[in-house]
Amino acid sequence: MTDRIIELLKHSGADAWEVTSLKEEGWEFYFIRHDLDQNRAKKTEHIHVTVYKKNEDGSAMGSASMEFAPTESEENVRRSIDDLIYRASLVQSRSYELNPKKEAEAGTAVVRPVAETAKAFLETLNSVHETDTEDLNSYEIFTSVVERRYVNSAGADLTEQYPKSMTEVVVNARSEGHEIELYRLYHSGTCDRNGLRQEIEDTLQFGKDRLRAESTPQMTNASVIFSTDAVLPIYRYFLNNMSSRFVFRRMNDWQIGTPIADGIEGDTITLRALRTLENSSANHAYDSEGAPVRDLTILENSVPKAYWGDRQFCSYLGLEDTFRVTNWEVLPGKTPAAEIRTPGTLEVVEFSDFQADPVTGDLFGEIRLAYLYDENGRRPVSGGSVSGNLKELMKHMTLSAETKQYDSARVPAVTRIDGATVTGK
Amino acid sequence: MKAFFSDYLKTIEPGLKKLVSILSEQYDYVSILSTDSKGLRVMITRHARSVGSETMTTERGTVVRVAKNGLYSEYAFNDFDAEHPEATAERLKEQLDAQLALLASLNTPVYETGVLDDEPCELFVEKETGELPEDCDVKALVERLTAISEKGMTLSEYMIDCMAVAQSTHISKLFLTKNRHMAQSYVYSEGFIQAVVNREGSTRAGRASLSGLAGPEIFAGLSDKTEEAVEQALVLLDADRIEPGEYEIICTPEVSGLIAHEAFGHGVEMDMFVKERALGKEYIGKRVGSDLVTMHEGALCAENVTSYAFDDEGVPAGDVTEIDHGILKTGICDALSAKRLGTRPTGNGKRENYEHKVYTRMTNTMFDSGTDTAEDMIASVKYGWLLEGMQSGMEDPKHWGIQCIIDHAREIRDGKLTGRVVAPVIMTGYVPDLLGNVTMVSKDREVFGCGGCGKGHKEWVKVADGGPYLKTKGWLG
Repeated sequence: MTDRIIELLKHSGADAWEVTSLKEEGWEFYFIRHDLDQNRAKKTEHIHVTVYKKNEDGSAMGSASMEFAPTESEENVRRSIDDLIYRASLVQSRSYELNPKKEAEAGTAVVRPVAETAKAFLETLNSVHETDTEDLNSYEIFTSVVERRYVNSAGADLTEQYPKSMTEVVVNARSEGHEIELYRLYHSGTCDRNGLRQEIEDTLQFGKDRLRAESTPQMTNASVIFSTDAVLPIYRYFLNNMSSRFVFRRMNDWQIGTPIADGIEGDTITLRALRTLENSSANHAYDSEGAPVRDLTILENSVPKAYWGDRQFCSYLGLEDTFRVTNWEVLPGKTPAAEIRTPGTLEVVEFSDFQADPVTGDLFGEIRLAYLYDENGRRPVSGGSVSGNLKELMKHMTLSAETKQYDSARVPAVTRIDGATVTGK
Repeated sequence: MKAFFSDYLKTIEPGLKKLVSILSEQYDYVSILSTDSKGLRVMITRHARSVGSETMTTERGTVVRVAKNGLYSEYAFNDFDAEHPEATAERLKEQLDAQLALLASLNTPVYETGVLDDEPCELFVEKETGELPEDCDVKALVERLTAISEKGMTLSEYMIDCMAVAQSTHISKLFLTKNRHMAQSYVYSEGFIQAVVNREGSTRAGRASLSGLAGPEIFAGLSDKTEEAVEQALVLLDADRIEPGEYEIICTPEVSGLIAHEAFGHGVEMDMFVKERALGKEYIGKRVGSDLVTMHEGALCAENVTSYAFDDEGVPAGDVTEIDHGILKTGICDALSAKRLGTRPTGNGKRENYEHKVYTRMTNTMFDSGTDTAEDMIASVKYGWLLEGMQSGMEDPKHWGIQCIIDHAREIRDGKLTGRVVAPVIMTGYVPDLLGNVTMVSKDREVFGCGGCGKGHKEWVKVADGGPYLKTKGWLG
């Protein structure tokens, strides 16, 4: 069907077009405790088409998009393409050119048969060390292989295969009739047996501690430590604000060569796009618009070095050789993690849903489990919330020397932010 | 006019029936859900404009559910050849058998479940709509949204962008078993305006929305929301941070809806009862709120974005009274969970789309109205806050904890709004405390359907929620 659509597009009167076909074969397993609740398999193909139509002098261009089912009739496809061309003519913005065919190194994704990856996940979840008081409540395993083909009217015709997996785990801990749960969602390419088992066993330990947690105290000007994937929204704030979409829309005043904040007293941020991260689900040779992916320094010591992003907005900014970030990293600091956890700091290891608003910089999250450090060690606390605004808080960050990877992102393993507000009781 | 049922689904229906027949020879239970839902999405911002045909719920595909020896399995695909259903049957069996062989090699035990009821049911529902998204005058809609965006930009010197979005989806679903033939089609639409302002490096966004069980004709009402979105954004530029603490609060209907959704939506999804993940199971028949709190959940409770005729397991839509004058009566339940719990399904078995598993999910989650007025409620507050707008929420059904991110709050002193605004506001707390402290409920109520809902951090579905103004106490930070 994809080839037929491409043929119809070539003769359609569209000024430009893109087709992305995503073929996916996946297996899924759902468990209650270790009993199989349900097994699922899927085989699908999604064909996304975007059509562009320019005005008479070519200075403006509009786009319209649609997904075509592989079962769509040729008559409907032909009619829909005509509709798309008309609709594209209605929404004109500044014109730009699609990515022409560009050479790139071969992709680094390691693809294994779905059954092999599924077996690795099943064995790993079965091997987690559980006790009478800390165990798995339920888990869900999703693993698939995706074949992505991107074709456009500028000559690009690129096909890549990559693995994609997700594991949802709910753990319980109980004591004297009281039971708590913690929730985790892990993304990856395939199964990292040791890493996943370690993550889950750490979570079981967190569950044990939550049972004896006291109420979180009220803290102003708090030093809050992030050591789980809850830190990702914080670092994504920096990544998003360096995107051409944000910059062109003037969502911030960050400029190449000018520090993003005055008076930074803590560690600065160095953020890089990476072509490859081991076992990431985003190891692509090309981005989803056909641009080659490469290593690129985006922020260096909190000074913007390079914007990234959509072809449209990069083109508006006059950037020709850029791309949508797939993998990324924040370089570590110099302080060992152990030295960041000083008396008076609060390390939150379980939020209900931590968020950092990419536009406003507001951050907030309810605390489900945290550790409050004092001279005698640490004690678990629960309840209350963390809030603040990154525009100010980014001046007071400490990044650990150690790093940790969460699927397509590698960040400092421990991050401390000074000056946050902790609402407790 | 009628939201007509998909011609494509009508075309493949004989092949799907044949597929049910073939698989029924090998399995104890077979059902098929086949979908063909089309959409329209127009987005206009200051710098970018686009028209698309994809929304959160557009899809075309099929999922087959089979059961054998107490195990339920599913196969999802979107390349069905109605002339050769036996080929699909073979592929399904090959895939599922390969999975079972792997599971057997690992000695995996099965959570055995009885065979789902398959009482005969014939249903064909085409709901009313003003327009279909396929027939929408896109040129006129683009002009309307462009006018909104341009007008928004003129309303303040601090405006840096004004986004206007309109999306409409025409749903068609076909559910088949040996004894059931159910078909439905309906249209829902939603639109919103997001105003973005910047003053001296501080960027804030305000939002106004509308939604309904209706076609693109409802976008005529979007223009009236422009000032509201801009005003919301401007108010935030001068907002302080709140002093953390427990306060008297008045929840506007949007915030009431968020509480309904997070507190007694997720808290009584009964697939969580099966996993022993919800405290609600132990509270059936017990007090969880004040006498003023009554709450309903179901596709029949309101006419909005998820008001279907039957759910994704072929169970007719319901209207469940979850809380009656403060007493928790029951939860909501999908068919498999109901089988496991020995109860009846409530029409709340939903999938993100045909590629995803069914879970117990919310539809319309609503607090009932009371007898007070919003003005009287504000006048009754010595010192507290009027909570307006919602950003997101998260529940903890195991402990009935709740997190609501509120857009902003207006200060009330001695029964009057002072003009001071704080933002953003995080409301946290224990659900029975929050609802137990409800002392006033307004007469009027509203429904909001512009958002989506995840289970954990995935499985996104459309939901609507709402209610009247509520007066209670809450922890704000």
